[in-house]
Amino acid sequence: MIYIVDHQDSFTYNLVHLLSNFDKVYVSNYSNINYSELRKSKVIVLSPGPGEPKNYPETSSLYKKYKGKKKILGICLGFQQILYNENGKIVKQKKIFHGHQSQIDILKSSKLFKGLKSFKVGKYHSLKLKEPFKSKDIFITMRCAETKTAMAIENIKKKVYGFQFHPESFLTPNGKFIIKKILSA
Amino acid sequence: MKRNLYLEKLYNSNKPLIIYKVKDGYNLFTDFSEKIKLNKNKLNNFFKKIDKLKRPSKKKVKDIYIGFFGYRLLCGLIDVKKIKQPPITFPDGAFYKPQTIIKIRKKITIQSNLKNYQNLFKKQTFATTNILTPFKVNLNFEKYKKIFYQFSKNIKEGKTYQIKICTKYSNKSKIDPVIMFWKLMKTNAASESFMIRDKNYSIVSCSPETLIEKKGQYITTKPIAGTMRKTKKTNLTKALYFFKNNIKETKEHNMIVDMERSDLSKICKYNSVKITKLKFVEEHKHLYHYVSEIRGKLKKNITTKQIIKSMMPGGSVIGCPKISTLNLLNKQEKDNRNIFTGSFGYINSRLDMRFNIIIRSILNYKNKSEISVASGVVIDSTPKKEFNENYIKAKSLLNLF
Repeated sequence: MIYIVDHQDSFTYNLVHLLSNFDKVYVSNYSNINYSELRKSKVIVLSPGPGEPKNYPETSSLYKKYKGKKKILGICLGFQQILYNENGKIVKQKKIFHGHQSQIDILKSSKLFKGLKSFKVGKYHSLKLKEPFKSKDIFITMRCAETKTAMAIENIKKKVYGFQFHPESFLTPNGKFIIKKILSA
Repeated sequence: MKRNLYLEKLYNSNKPLIIYKVKDGYNLFTDFSEKIKLNKNKLNNFFKKIDKLKRPSKKKVKDIYIGFFGYRLLCGLIDVKKIKQPPITFPDGAFYKPQTIIKIRKKITIQSNLKNYQNLFKKQTFATTNILTPFKVNLNFEKYKKIFYQFSKNIKEGKTYQIKICTKYSNKSKIDPVIMFWKLMKTNAASESFMIRDKNYSIVSCSPETLIEKKGQYITTKPIAGTMRKTKKTNLTKALYFFKNNIKETKEHNMIVDMERSDLSKICKYNSVKITKLKFVEEHKHLYHYVSEIRGKLKKNITTKQIIKSMMPGGSVIGCPKISTLNLLNKQEKDNRNIFTGSFGYINSRLDMRFNIIIRSILNYKNKSEISVASGVVIDSTPKKEFNENYIKAKSLLNLF
């Protein structure tokens, strides 16, 4: 089962439908976690949402509790939530691309998407990861072709993954393929 | 339209009356056997009533509830609180059960459960439109700009990705809603137009936006995001070219498409939600709209309440993400929206339904007419352009006075 922690976003159910191609999905609000369902889940997905990671201390403690124990995937705010808990700084951007379809480059650091060069994806983020970002085990694996902003992270050992873009958006034609790679990793 | 004595009598009477645009004409509803004034506490009872609609009936006019949900009621349904606003005096919502339906197509046909429906007029009244004060707008450009920059800041902070600023025009006036509605339909017969005339209020609307069309297990929504002003030099092709090549309009539209996909996905079967028409242009009297159509197959055992709760208030007139944007709006707005960005429509005995988003509407209540309009702030908006967009949206209605 996949457990989606919803941050009251208006895209969450696109994610539910996308993930339902692969497994049973359970959704709850971030402030109302059903721990018996969560314990049964193999994967935890941290949903997109408004605001910034520090607004969601419940999600931060959930991440710390389950990191390394379950596979964790963060999307947009969820991606930032992971980085925030890994001592990354989340900052405002000069140029914002809400609802924009962008080209992103897959870096050599990516193990999951090895051999692939780029994707077209939908973006909705106001904030971004401040760089340089240093981590022992989390690698930035994709970047926006235009702005070079960090777009994906992988930590194969701890099974932590994240996308700043939205695989569930209709602007991401390969969303299903991208999710499949994460779930089968 | 041909003269019809019954209709003329009906128009000139004081009988409550509802008109709703359909594809090839208009449906008129009257002789209401029931009127339900809605508020937060009565909402659950109303939905229980709806569930009981689905019973076989031999009546000529099958059971149907037609009416509206106001904005505040819809916020309450998804647990968004309204604050800082004066107490509401206008009903939160109202639904009517008609016994007589008049279908105006090339021919006029009348169906009624009442034998003597032709003679049910108590008195003749000749309401006329009477304007007592000129229209005033609740936000001047300076005030608008202030709100605009506050919301732009909220976008940069990630609290919202798109948010609609609402402005309200109001005057003191009495109106004859029937005459006003038919006058409006001559120039702007938008697909979701409707009129309600009740004893103490009336609504005249040329709404272009379908929020819910449910037939059997299928549900469709047609969000509008994107407006272009019409001039002598513009046409449909040019409008499509403008929208396609305008990055700001495209992004604003994409966001709404993804949000509506998600709203439908709450109540639809996995993988059944599809964009059936992506980005087409609809032409209106003073403007062009950029529209998409999204459709899904409902999960089994989904109730009417669940459908309303997932889809309303319609996201395209609020912004995105819905809940946090509604909270920002309600914190800022000092006036009640009343009917504006609520939904008008019907639920019938098959539990099929059609609901619009109440925009481009005149609400007349206690000798006051109000017209509310909204336009979106996204990261690339400019206050002047959005302020003007609000004006062109109100124009066809202001011209009626």
